[in-house]
Formats: sequence, structure tokens, C-alpha cells
Amino acid sequence: MLNIGKERVPLCEGPSRRSFLQLGTTGMATLSLPTLFKLEALGAVKNSDAKIRNCITIFLVGSPGQHDTWDMKPDAPAEVRGKFKPVQTNVNGIQICEHFPMMSKMMDKVALIRSLHHRTGATHENGQRWMMTGHDFNADSVKPHLGSVISKVYGQKSELPSNIVLPGPIGNTGAGPLHGQTSGYLGSAHEPFFLNSDPANKDFKVGDLEVAQGQGNNRLDARKQLLTQLDEIQRRTESRSTQMHDSAYERAFRLLTSPKAKQAFDLNQENEKLRDRYGRNTFGQSCLMARRMVENGVRFVTVNHFDTVFNLSCWDMHADGGGLNNTYLDYERLLCPQFDMAYTALLEDLQQRGLLEETVVAVLSEFGRTPRINPKGGRDHYPNAWTNFLAGGNIRGGQVIGSTDKIGARPNDFPVEPPQILASIYHAMGINLDTTMMPGPGDRPVRLVEAEPIRQLFS
Amino acid sequence: MEQKFEGTPKSEIRIDGPKLLRSEVTNDWGSLLRWVITQNGKEVNVHNARPMLNYEPKLSTKGSHEAVLQMWKYVDYKKDAQGEFTNSKFVEVSNKITFNI
Repeated sequence: MLNIGKERVPLCEGPSRRSFLQLGTTGMATLSLPTLFKLEALGAVKNSDAKIRNCITIFLVGSPGQHDTWDMKPDAPAEVRGKFKPVQTNVNGIQICEHFPMMSKMMDKVALIRSLHHRTGATHENGQRWMMTGHDFNADSVKPHLGSVISKVYGQKSELPSNIVLPGPIGNTGAGPLHGQTSGYLGSAHEPFFLNSDPANKDFKVGDLEVAQGQGNNRLDARKQLLTQLDEIQRRTESRSTQMHDSAYERAFRLLTSPKAKQAFDLNQENEKLRDRYGRNTFGQSCLMARRMVENGVRFVTVNHFDTVFNLSCWDMHADGGGLNNTYLDYERLLCPQFDMAYTALLEDLQQRGLLEETVVAVLSEFGRTPRINPKGGRDHYPNAWTNFLAGGNIRGGQVIGSTDKIGARPNDFPVEPPQILASIYHAMGINLDTTMMPGPGDRPVRLVEAEPIRQLFS
Repeated sequence: MEQKFEGTPKSEIRIDGPKLLRSEVTNDWGSLLRWVITQNGKEVNVHNARPMLNYEPKLSTKGSHEAVLQMWKYVDYKKDAQGEFTNSKFVEVSNKITFNI
């Protein structure tokens, strides 16, 4: 037997990997660390190689209808054009929905892509995977989230994780658990860090950064020592994948004990007026948190606007009278105003701090919505045409790429598919798609995404 | 994760000539903010207050009017058979002012 602290480990009987990990988990239990927080980056590119250092992706779960937001068709028949009116933006010739009044004054910073489409089934999950991995579903090789790819390519640049999802992961959207927000074949070392806490809560705290009550720093130090001893034994007896696990604990421990990390997550350090400007709601405060994250060295942040489409006000406007009963009223009274405030606050705030030019801000969603309003007054899933947009970094704002036909049913010119958006984000972040490969299944080098960047997006 | 809304929104409004003026909203929930103008308790004008801090209403009715700012308070998304929300509603977030046309 071996004593580690007060623990007795039965080495002579042949220690199993499980027994070590169980002990490690027991030792860490009161620290409440995320089991998937594993951050080792292998073969990382130097930080200094990236001119555009950060990316914030806002994912509009459920998907807004293009006709009711950023690709309006005021001349189409009433059953197509919908209830809202277009307004002129600060860029001649570009109109968007009247319920984005603040965004309409910042269109010079935004590049709309109105001809997005994909060719697979109209489920939320298909669209989520396309827009967050650039790939179609493949059960044999789950593709990594673009934040995980960035984590892999550039590694961690501060004590904070390199890839964070706010406020939490996408949950049930109807057709399965794979939403494209995991590290996939890149492994747990590049799994996103999920905040799993609501920044709009009055007593918001990141649970994993709070030391359990009654557990002082001395006890923390003792646990750190215990972990170090465990690490040494494991290194002698275990595989490389286990070592990655150790490294994750080590980094998680650093995060737990880092004053900088605690400060980064503390929204109370923000000016009250600025918090108001973002909107005192889960999405607005998550966007503010996203800015704090990139300011403190997080390279990739995803903000999920909602984690489900069921039984709550969200973009999935079926108006079905049941669990998917979002209507024009939800858009007008809650969703559009909430997005308008938070998105424009984020762009303004990043710009005022000099961060916008080094941060790509992408607004993504799964698909569009049907051109004709359904009999109940909603619109259903429609992957044949929709609008997403990019800003910040070296994106040239004030432009529209692609267009749809008269009823917003099909791309009319310059059709764009999801991998082109991801290729553009990678390109914006300084990644050469011809020379940067991922270790795919069996460590075979694979291209990040099978597409070229949209050159027109860039200055 | 259901949306959380922090605090209670508040704004001050006043009138300056033909214009209604509002302050920035504190504890702003970020939902629809609108001017509501009534006469004898009946709504005669409703206008989105988000785009600007002032609003010059075009009113066809003469006499005394009352103005207030309302914000959408999201409680849940439940709706009745007519499609109107049952629990979520507009709430007043400013003082009321009275003016004559």
C-alpha cells in the first residue's frame, strides 16, 4: 500500500487507471471542477501569429426568420412579407427590420450574408452542426466546434480557458444531443468551458471558481499537494491521455485560485450604466461577459441566445399553439429589442476599448424560416435561405453579400454555404487553411473545413 | 435556461414644447419600450421609444393627454387562444405627465 496524504492506495494489487482517477476525483470533489475541463493544446501556433486575436459568436438558437429581420421583402404578398416594416440603415440601400433601430445606425460595421443555405434536413441540430463545425453529421467522426479548433491551433493565452460558452450549452432542440458545441475528435483537451450560470442573476457566481464554504486556502494548498503526488504516480503508470487529464486538473486548479479569473467573471466591476446598456437580461449580460472574457485573454467565446426551443420565448417562431408557440409578438416585444440592445452594446463597447479591430463578432443561426406564413401565423424551418452576419476584425462592414429571390426562398446570387462562413472566420483569425491541418481520426491530417473564405468580406 | 431579468426598470419623462423626453432607463430589461399616450383613460397613441430619447407625437385629439413609458415584462411565453400573452405584460416604468393639445 502507498499512502498519499491520508489515502491508502493499493499499489501491490495492481493499481488500475480507474482507481487513480477515482481518487483524483474524490480529492477534487469539493473543488467542484468541471469534468470536461481539459485544456492541453498540442502543436499550438504562437499567439503572436494571430493579428485578429479573438472571436465572439452569438448563436441565435431556434433561428430568426429572414423575412422578419435582415432580409425583408416589403414588395412580396402579405403572406410572405410578414407584419414588420423595413427601415433604412446608415448605409444607403441596406434596409433591416424596424425592430432593430440601434443596429440600423451601425450597419456600416456589419456585413450581412443574405444567401446562406444548406442542403441537409431542416432540424435545428443539422443547422447547429453546420454553423458551428462547418461539417455535416458524421457519427464516426464528431467534428469539433470552431472554438475548439481555435483552442487547438492557438492554445491558451491566459489563465482563463481559450474557448468558453455562455451562459450554457445548447440543450434539447428536438432531434438529438449533438449540437456541434463539443471538441469532437480533438478530444477533451479542447472541450469548451461552459459557464453554466446566468450572469443576469443578482447573486451570479461561477460555481467552479468558488471555494466551498469553510475551505480555506490551507486546505486548497493541501489538496494541490495531494494532486501533485497523484500526478507523479500517474505519470509513471498511465497513458498519455491520462496525463492530459492531469494537466486539465492542474490548469483548472490554477483557474480556481487565480484572482484574475475571479475578477474576469465579476460583472459587478462593470459600470451600472454599461450593464443597463447591454440589457439586464440573461443574453445581454452574457454579451457583456463575452467582452470581459476576450479582454482577459479568452480567444473564443460563444453566446447562446437560449438553450432550447421549447416552452419559452425564442426565435423558433412556429406559432403552433403548444410548446413551440412563438409568434410575431415574441419577436416584437422581447427578442428583437433584446438582441438589438445587446448586439449594438457589444460592438460599441468593443470599439471604445480598441478591441473591435482585433475581435471578429459573428451572428449565426441554424437556418431560415419558410417564406409563406403558416396557417397559425408562424414560420417553420427552412434551410434553403437565411441571413447571418459578421463584424469586427478585418471584416468590411456596410455591405451585403448575396441576395435571395423576390420571396426570400432561394439564393438569387452568390449562394453561400456554412463551411464558407467558418472558413471566413478562420481566415479572419489568421489561419491559413492550406497549411493548418487538424489531426483527424487516426492522426491523419485533415483540412479544417472544405471551403474557401468569402474574400468580399474583407477589406 | 429561462431568461432572468435583473432589477426594476425606471426612467424619468418630461415634456419640452411639442416633444416628450425620456432619460436613459436604469435596470433596463432590454425588451420593448414604448410611449403610451392616453386621453380619458383610452390609448390614443403608442410608439416605440427605443430609437431615441425624444418623441414628438402627432395627435389628432384635442384636450388633456397623459403620457407614460411602458416596458414589456416577460414572465413566460404562455398565450391565450387569440395569441395574446396571458402572464407577460407591459408595465409602467416612468412617471406620468399630463399635457394639453
